[in-house]
Amino acid sequence: MIIKNITQWFHDLAHVWVRECWLVLHEKGAIIFFFVLCAIYPLLYATIYNPEIVRDVTVVVVDDDRSQESRELCRQLDATPEVCVVAYAADMQEARRMMNEKRCYGIVHVPREYSTSLSRVEKADIDVYCDMGVLLRYKQIVTAVTNVQQHLTSEIQAAKMAAVTTAGAIIESEEVPLGNTAMGLASAVLPCILMLVLQQSMLLGIGTLHGGSRERRLANRGHDPMEVPAGVTSTVIGKALCYVFMYAIPMVYVLYLVPKFFDFPQNGRLLEVLTFTIPFLLASAMLGQVLKIFVNDRESAFIALAFTSVIFVFLTGISWPRCAMNSFWLAMGNMIPSTWAANGYISLQTGGATLRQVEINYWMLWLLVILYFVLACIVEYYLCRPRWRRMRHYAKRDAGALMREEYRRQAVDILE
Amino acid sequence: MDLKLFFNEAVKRGLVQLVRRKIYYIMMVVAPLLCSLFLLSLMDGGSVTRVPVGVVDLDQSSLSRNIERNLAAMQGVHIIKHYDTYASAEAAVQSGEILGFFLMPADLERSALNAESPKVSYYINYAYFSPASSQYRGFKTVSVLANGGIVKTVLDATGLVDGETVSNVLQPIASHAHALNNPWANYSYYLNASFVPCFLALFILLITSFSIGAELKYGTCREWISSAGGSMGFAIFGKMWPHTLIFTITGWTIQLIMYRIYGMPLNCNPWNMIIAMFLFVLANQAFALLMMCIVPNFRYGATLCSLFGMLSFSFCAFSIPSETLYPWINALGHIMPVRYYFLLSIDQALNGIDLYYSRVYYAALIVYPLLPLPLLGRLKHECLNPIYI
Repeated sequence: MIIKNITQWFHDLAHVWVRECWLVLHEKGAIIFFFVLCAIYPLLYATIYNPEIVRDVTVVVVDDDRSQESRELCRQLDATPEVCVVAYAADMQEARRMMNEKRCYGIVHVPREYSTSLSRVEKADIDVYCDMGVLLRYKQIVTAVTNVQQHLTSEIQAAKMAAVTTAGAIIESEEVPLGNTAMGLASAVLPCILMLVLQQSMLLGIGTLHGGSRERRLANRGHDPMEVPAGVTSTVIGKALCYVFMYAIPMVYVLYLVPKFFDFPQNGRLLEVLTFTIPFLLASAMLGQVLKIFVNDRESAFIALAFTSVIFVFLTGISWPRCAMNSFWLAMGNMIPSTWAANGYISLQTGGATLRQVEINYWMLWLLVILYFVLACIVEYYLCRPRWRRMRHYAKRDAGALMREEYRRQAVDILE
Repeated sequence: MDLKLFFNEAVKRGLVQLVRRKIYYIMMVVAPLLCSLFLLSLMDGGSVTRVPVGVVDLDQSSLSRNIERNLAAMQGVHIIKHYDTYASAEAAVQSGEILGFFLMPADLERSALNAESPKVSYYINYAYFSPASSQYRGFKTVSVLANGGIVKTVLDATGLVDGETVSNVLQPIASHAHALNNPWANYSYYLNASFVPCFLALFILLITSFSIGAELKYGTCREWISSAGGSMGFAIFGKMWPHTLIFTITGWTIQLIMYRIYGMPLNCNPWNMIIAMFLFVLANQAFALLMMCIVPNFRYGATLCSLFGMLSFSFCAFSIPSETLYPWINALGHIMPVRYYFLLSIDQALNGIDLYYSRVYYAALIVYPLLPLPLLGRLKHECLNPIYI
């Protein structure tokens, strides 16, 4: 008896899997989300962020000193990769006007006493005013000014105190970037976005498939001719396995080939990355089967789910770090597969970690698989199936009831 | 007389449709407000502080302990662990336990006192940008201070210069960076000025294309036009104006939350931003309408709108300066209304400069509602001769 039940369960599972695969391949929306979106989005994002490093932020100089020293300062500033001196302004008013007209994003003001102060061994001040509209511009201007300042300082010190110190500093210091050694913007942001693309495209695709099923029921008196009569667990697992199976190729493309195309950090071992991704895809497939409840027709998948991408991106902590989040948002982030997956993938691919070093992420993903599997079963059993039963019930009493309800919601009835 | 009747009919239909579908309540009021609150409360801290870092002290001298104490006092970093070797610290960075570490070599103190120029180094994980710059600031300051401390001691000892000029010799040039109107370099003030309106724009684009597309999909577009007496203008107006009203009120509420509750800088006359929000809502509706006129099909029109809505977070140059982007991506960014609203809000709300300098941005927002007008006939044709898929 038990053995018969078990074989029946596996039989159902296989049946659901085959049918769902057929549906995916015959639903245009699902193909678009599962394959086209995965193919194009990573390329689009990578292209947008590909310039990687901000160079030559425009600044103007107000030089009230007009000395050899002040000109040297400006020359060195212009020579930095970060900024570019576009003009000399006569006074602060003129510089301010240029800034308002967006001809520059920073003003460097050298006061009248600059060279005198230097020769008198007094402190020589320079003022830098930065536009704060885009933070990276500010960062580049400050970096350039600090570097020039330090370079000039060590030159001056070398000249003045040759007797005391040999070459510049006594304790030298050096910065070593880890992982993203080029300090590029795309290399930092993209690994996270790649994981998000996988998760979000899957959620959208599952939503679309669910919407399609509901539309078939509207047209068929509450019956979906494509539905496989199977138990709740075998339906949920069968569908999830189908979605993960469908992602076999997109997964390799997005996580392995795209970083190759754009030369992002690739320190991960392919096999480990893929092993790590399996529970992530499974968790996403389960999450999709929970969130599908918010989708009523094929097209509203976009409306109901698209905006969650931005929220999920922020929850991964790529922009505002997780160490600075409050515990509520940390907990919310912990509930989303992409949080663990993106951070784990960054460690694997950018940091060159081994799978063992990110085992917390790996096991958390499996935990989420179980959590969302339970939730998906609840959604299927307590929400979806009763809803379909009600639809059949109404349709039995009045064949046109379902379509009439759709028209009522479009406000067509008020014309009658 | 008839005109008035049709006008009323169109408006009535628009309103009834709005209240009968739950998706409108959620996507026009609840979701935009929640998303704005999400971003604002997520970054409420303003700047990234107490980034978890490690220390590798191979010297264990009084100098190295002194440096470490200085590091512990830094606001940007938080020492959570000590490591015995470089390798163990690097492994901790890889597994994400810490985001960087400070390494002091063996014989640091001895070499420093022998003037052999020892080198301290700091390792920063640049996979995460904003904590990286907090760490950089902390580590760099500590290294410079350490050097300064030693040099000061040496100079004092030589007696070549008196105490007052020592600091001038150490730092002959002082640069003062003035971060205009955001002196704290508050990340939330900077990022949310663009991302919050971009969220609202996304919802406006989605809902506008959805409400027009649904007519096409359910084959109700003929009734839609005929209820407005065959006038496309009335039909659009009747459908759109309740949206305009609700979105504008949502937008104003978001502005209230941003500028009054979360205290983002508002250095202009508040009316400049209040009016800008109204124009922004109109411009986004017009943009979505334009998309639906160009592609009069629910699925493709809505896909286009959400594609643009999602991508505008990236290609509208909110975080990368526009001059750094590839020119064609920068040009693409300029077709989105949110780009102009963002530039306008920097000029007005952040910098509070004369309206004169933002004239182009206001003008751009005003022009958007005119763009779909020549193409309305195309949408009407599609509505009257629908192709059922």
